Amino acid sequence: MTEKILTLWYGSGLYNLSPGQAVMVLVGLGLLYLAIAKKFEPLLLVPIGFGGILANIPEAGLALSAAEQAAHLARPALLEQMAATLQLGLDPAAGIEAWRHTLTEALHGDLSPALLRSANDVAMDAGFAHGMLYQFYSVAIASGIAPLVIFMGVGAMTDFGPLLANPRTLFLGAAAQFGIFATLLGAVGMSAMGWMDFSLNQAAAIGIIGGADGPTSIYVSSILAPELLGAIAVASYSYMALVPLIQPPIMKALTSKREREIVMTQLRPVSKLEKIVFPLSLLILVVLFLPDAAPLLGMFCFGNLMRECGVVERLSDTAQNALINIVTIFLGLSVGSKLMADRFLALETLGILALGMVAFAIGTACGILMAKLMNTVSRMPINPLIGSAGGSAVPMAARVSNKVGLESNPHNFLLMHAMGPNVAGVIGSAVAAGVMIKYLG
Amino acid sequence: MQDTQLLNEGLALMGLGMGFVFVFLTVLVIVTTLMSKAIGRFFPEPPAPVATGNRRPPAPRQDDDVMVAITAAVHRYRRRHRR
Repeated sequence: MTEKILTLWYGSGLYNLSPGQAVMVLVGLGLLYLAIAKKFEPLLLVPIGFGGILANIPEAGLALSAAEQAAHLARPALLEQMAATLQLGLDPAAGIEAWRHTLTEALHGDLSPALLRSANDVAMDAGFAHGMLYQFYSVAIASGIAPLVIFMGVGAMTDFGPLLANPRTLFLGAAAQFGIFATLLGAVGMSAMGWMDFSLNQAAAIGIIGGADGPTSIYVSSILAPELLGAIAVASYSYMALVPLIQPPIMKALTSKREREIVMTQLRPVSKLEKIVFPLSLLILVVLFLPDAAPLLGMFCFGNLMRECGVVERLSDTAQNALINIVTIFLGLSVGSKLMADRFLALETLGILALGMVAFAIGTACGILMAKLMNTVSRMPINPLIGSAGGSAVPMAARVSNKVGLESNPHNFLLMHAMGPNVAGVIGSAVAAGVMIKYLG
Repeated sequence: MQDTQLLNEGLALMGLGMGFVFVFLTVLVIVTTLMSKAIGRFFPEPPAPVATGNRRPPAPRQDDDVMVAITAAVHRYRRRHRR
């Protein structure tokens, strides 16, 4: 009788809960709190937070592959078999716990996909299965599909009208991408100083947070540094939610009151034909100059063409609503699966959160400085406040520009002017992502 | 030694990346401007803005004209019938 009770106890979550998992469950609850009570990007933080809790349920292994589960639970005979498949030597004297540890570490390390697949096959033959969140992750993110489908939806929601009316705002979107590269340099610098240990690939994936574009950062880090994906996605989405808090102080510090009061001339009307031709010409430029950005910008242009061509209302509607919602659910849960305690609770995560914040601030500042520069050269007045919208985060950043502008001059509506740099920022960060993937991938 | 190499690579990537982003977006600005000009010239009646830009302002003007005409007519009519 006592034996049975003990078995129950040994199988319970409470017995198996490691301190790290407890912390991560709290982090998940914290994300849920931010999403529900504070309305911080709830569409993403609710699934991410919940996925994070699910991933840290002890013994359930929802976020583990079959091989990882086997390494954790299997009998010694199977462990030996897996080690043989992975071409690892297990020290017979070290004991079974050490074996499990060696195998787990090996599975997390740089394994060739072929070896990983055969290890999974061995585990599956023995009756182990992939966890639910692991399946979601491999379908949605490891394949690269979810961020791309979301990009298509964003394209279908984007109106390029303001950008077409004033194409020079594209420069603001370009300038704000400096945050990405400055952060990359910062991450590399931290490694050079010996504070952190980031490779160039990881540094690039962290830098993309500065693009303030969730799907782009997930896409890039799933290619360049999948091991950091959880931290990068959480950093990226939380800073996007914090745009209204982070940006205004920087904007006010860099502009004078007179500059904030600049009234911009009204935008010219843009013809329907221009709006249809624009995604196509962008696509042709991508084809000619940067094929590595083709997945991201291709889907973006496709979504936008569906919106503007006016003959596929149903598809455009699905891309902007139903499809993007479905994909967001799975994307969020899959990102949550990367919040496993043993991977997430590391010094690197803190470094990523700090660097992400810096990336954001630098991007905002560069956008504003560029706008000030353009204002001095161009005949048309440019309010420097719209420069901060160059760091994507559509449409939040544009709204912030509008709000700060209204504070200085209650009759100055900058929203439409800020939408130009805002969508330019999306293009800019996708181009920067393409350069990174080209250079490092 | 390795650290400086990493830093150098970071710097190289920064220069290359930033340069490329600027070049790409500059080309995009040029292409977009040309495209808009070409469309403005070769398809001089872009349907959407012309339709919305012209029809709306004339609508009240026409109404005004009609109103003036009607008032004048009513005025005359009344005057005639008073006599």
